[in-house]
Amino acid sequence: MSIFQKSVKNPITTALIYVAIVIIGVYSYSKLAVDLLPDLGTNNILVLTSYEGASASDIETNVTKPLENVLNGVSNLKHINANSKENVSVIALEFEYGIDVEEATNDIRDKLDLVSSMLPDGVSKPIIFKFSTEAIPILMLSVQSEESTNALYKILDERIVSPLSRVEGVGAVSIQGAPQREINIYCDPYKLDSYGLTVEGITNVIRAENLNLPLGNMDMGSSTFSIRTIGEFDDYAAMNDIVVGSFNNRNVYLKDVAVVKDTVQERVQEVYNNGVRGASIIIQKQTGGNTVNTAKEIKKRLPELMETLPEDIKIGVIYDTSDDILNTIGSLREAIITILILVVVVVMMFLGRWRATFIIAIVIPVSLVASFIYLAITGNSLNVISLSSLSIAIGMVVDDAIVVLENISKHISRGSKPKSAAVYATNEVYLSVVASTLVLLAVFLPMTTLSGLAGVLFKQMGWIMTIVIVVSLLASITLTPMMSSVMLKAQHRSNSWFDRFQGKFERQLDKLDLWYSKVLGLVLKWRVWVIVGALVIFIASLFLAKVIPTEFFSHEDNGRLTVTVKLPMGTRLEESRALGLELTQRFQENFPEMIHCNFNVGQPSDQNTFGRLFESGSHMLSFNMRFTKKTERERGIQEISDITNTILGEYPQINTYFVRLGRGGGAGGQSTVVVEIYGNDFLETDKFAATIADKVLQDTRCGSAKISREEYTPEVSINFDRRKLAEKGLNVGTAATLVKNRIGGAIASVYREDGHEYMIRVRLAPEFRENLNDIRQMTLFTPQGAAVKVGELAQIDEVLTPPTIERKNRSRIVKVEMTASADVPLSDLAEIAKDALDQTELPQGITTELAGTYQDQQESFADLALLMVLILILVFIVMASQFESFVYPFVIIFSIPFALTGVLLGLSVTGTPLGLMAMLGLVLLIGIVVKNGIVLIDYTILLRERGHTVEESVVMAGRSRLRPILMTTITTVLGMIPLAIGKGEGAEMWNPLGMTVAWGLTFSTMITLLLIPMLYASFARYGEKRRARKQRKLLEKSAAQSVVE
Amino acid sequence: MKAVFISAYQAFYQDILELFNQLEIRGFTYWDEVQGRGHFNGEPHYGSHAWPTLNCAFLTMIEDHQVEPLMQKLRELDKTAPQQGLRAFVLPCLEML
Repeated sequence: MSIFQKSVKNPITTALIYVAIVIIGVYSYSKLAVDLLPDLGTNNILVLTSYEGASASDIETNVTKPLENVLNGVSNLKHINANSKENVSVIALEFEYGIDVEEATNDIRDKLDLVSSMLPDGVSKPIIFKFSTEAIPILMLSVQSEESTNALYKILDERIVSPLSRVEGVGAVSIQGAPQREINIYCDPYKLDSYGLTVEGITNVIRAENLNLPLGNMDMGSSTFSIRTIGEFDDYAAMNDIVVGSFNNRNVYLKDVAVVKDTVQERVQEVYNNGVRGASIIIQKQTGGNTVNTAKEIKKRLPELMETLPEDIKIGVIYDTSDDILNTIGSLREAIITILILVVVVVMMFLGRWRATFIIAIVIPVSLVASFIYLAITGNSLNVISLSSLSIAIGMVVDDAIVVLENISKHISRGSKPKSAAVYATNEVYLSVVASTLVLLAVFLPMTTLSGLAGVLFKQMGWIMTIVIVVSLLASITLTPMMSSVMLKAQHRSNSWFDRFQGKFERQLDKLDLWYSKVLGLVLKWRVWVIVGALVIFIASLFLAKVIPTEFFSHEDNGRLTVTVKLPMGTRLEESRALGLELTQRFQENFPEMIHCNFNVGQPSDQNTFGRLFESGSHMLSFNMRFTKKTERERGIQEISDITNTILGEYPQINTYFVRLGRGGGAGGQSTVVVEIYGNDFLETDKFAATIADKVLQDTRCGSAKISREEYTPEVSINFDRRKLAEKGLNVGTAATLVKNRIGGAIASVYREDGHEYMIRVRLAPEFRENLNDIRQMTLFTPQGAAVKVGELAQIDEVLTPPTIERKNRSRIVKVEMTASADVPLSDLAEIAKDALDQTELPQGITTELAGTYQDQQESFADLALLMVLILILVFIVMASQFESFVYPFVIIFSIPFALTGVLLGLSVTGTPLGLMAMLGLVLLIGIVVKNGIVLIDYTILLRERGHTVEESVVMAGRSRLRPILMTTITTVLGMIPLAIGKGEGAEMWNPLGMTVAWGLTFSTMITLLLIPMLYASFARYGEKRRARKQRKLLEKSAAQSVVE
Repeated sequence: MKAVFISAYQAFYQDILELFNQLEIRGFTYWDEVQGRGHFNGEPHYGSHAWPTLNCAFLTMIEDHQVEPLMQKLRELDKTAPQQGLRAFVLPCLEML
């Protein structure tokens, strides 16, 4: 018994199987995590090696190069990027996307073991550390406080950070801008000298005074007592009265030589929220954690935590990545619902019956829901890729069911009982339904084999489409016949408004059928002209390809900008801060749509793990700006970014600035073109990079250009004279420590209060360490107790230290990173870079390469192009075996070039650049477009087999198949329109996909309906003639033979 | 005794079976899938690409008095769906085992 016979015989079982699928699907859906994109995983592994005291170039030769040489052998490696700076070498290994990170890590470890014995003594063991996009914070909170500033760190650490760290999925929580309390003991060097005291001496005294010591146990009577001295200060002011030495038989107290100050750390990162000093809290998720769920948990906890805070502390949200994700997914979900309604309406219009429409419509949720089961099992998330796959699928899943249902109702209208009609009608069509599904599978299954970035993104689409299509096929040959057998009745027209309306629609369709068959007749007559016309259209459209720009991913407007401003190295914090505040004001004046403007300046403390990951300094300002939702403002984020660039350009004191949109990098972020300049000579490459940056910036289409190599950093170098040191009984190490204690300070002890520990730091008061002369005047004591000035022992100079040495693929490199202005596509930016490179003479020993998003785009496009060829071959194979012919599939394949024509036309009319999503649309089109051709040719062949002539068959088939073709095309095209014109948040990402499919399919359907029947007729007639000739020859031969006999 | 050969579109299977039950015809032979085409109008039933439908066939040996009611009922059945095709032929049955 066939599967459809079984399902019609057992309606309850059949129904319940699908009910079960729906229930499991809905359950899986409720468990699915929401994310923006499929999990990209880690493709970067860092190897950190420190070598204390080595300069950048020493690190490069002694550490980076040997490590690079062995690490180069790690498998699946794409690039090696290395940074050699003072004391540390950072090697970033970039792998292909989708590799097994554990395996790669082990491989790296093995390779490192090989080389470890060859590294110089004193080089630490290399640390391997996996780095992924997940290190990007998911939530950034602003903190404003009026009174609690000094205690802010403690309050936040205790009441916000610790509880939040315990929330599931939270990786690290860092506080930025809230300085930690510190007890500073500021010494006056002149007083110290006159009393013969030293910073070290004071440090030791404090250390010895601030002690609680256990002294043992003592039995007294029947009890045992433990004995303890309580020497710890319970009030920091008590330190003032410590005796630190004696002079002329009189005690010298600490207050005589120093000031005890309860303050905060001296060098801190300052954070300003909308121009008001405050702090920010940065929350990162755990590797593999889900952004949306984690952020949801945090936001649930936050209100109760906020209640515990003092009243003057206000917490706000600077940005929340989960909001962006939810909004994006939300607008895609809306699009899906619109598509669903549109598809059902189209089916209703064509079929004209509620029951039939219901039977068809039920297939949609059943097959879509099945994909949720797949997502849940494989641990994938609900994201832009999976949801846009579903929106494409809606228009396709109904096709099979429609074919089956149409045949069943034909049988019922001829008088069969629904039950037997369901079985036998399905039997007649199921083979062709399977065949047309195979064509779609030939498109989507190869997608699952893609590798690289495109692979990670589109593998999921490949699987989802495969599953949805297979389930819809199964539903159409089991559920549809079963439901038809139960629900369908012989058609009878009622006189409701809908029936009248639908009747009118049907009469129009009848007219269209008639008109189309007439046109077909004409086309068959004017064959040559049609071919010439089609060729001209196709070739003309290819010229459009030259002018259509390309891009990678359209960047998403999520209302966020990050700006990095660099002042000249060594600029004081006060200067940078003033500029930061001024810029904040300028931004506030210029952007009424700005909700939040946060910036930080200065070096973060050691406790701020997040801050340490990024470049920072007193000369650097990092802005985080958030704007209102895209739908609520007139200016796009690109426009705002361009204005920001202009504003920043007005400040001559700014060395470099860089404005980034949204997330930055990757899919949906801002696209970049990176000019990589390889060369060994620092000066030559610096000069060349500067020339290129200048040239590209002359073009207004280039928004910004950033040179990766840092400038030389000014620093004060103290060169001790070893001979003089030796004479005084000192060595470089001790002398350096002594100087460090005076400037950086020595940690004497910790001050405890309410269970918290605060550092007690002893050093010279700030006014005694302001210039080079202050250093020269510092007094050090030799082991013999003699005082000596630093100036006598060392040469003190201001010098410039060479910057970080960057390497890629084992050569020195400087990068010029370019971003585009508003509405400038990636290909134009690459063009600018290429032009700049062409115009500049390449000095000897320098090679260049274009990288960045541009490279990702080129690689992904190449992958997709290869995929298209593979898909074309597979589709041809499926069709050839279905028709058992090489000619008919060849005829049908002709509809594909016109899909390309439609896409090119659509892209140029709407001014959309060709991106990855549009390329993907082109791949999908192959399958969708070919399906129409198959329907048409299959029926034409059927008519010929029934004995009609070629011309008759072509016209009759056209007339009879126009309606199903229109119906499937309209469902798919209408399904794409909400995707194509969506305006919600994140819609930029799928607009090109919807647009390509809609334009390509519309155009190619129009051509298919004319060109394919005509080509078929030509080939078929040629075949008939050839056969007739052969037969004639055979007849003549046998006649000749009989004459001979 | 008469032999009645019924060749009909597959979907009539259930109906014909019901007729047999009504008329208390117990014995018959049934072919699930047979191909054929009629003399006059009607579509061929070949189960092929061009003519995807198929017929089924019954052969039953019945008493002479049962023939007319059966033929009558079959005629009525044919009228309910004339396009689907249902034909019956009555032949003499000469001997039985």
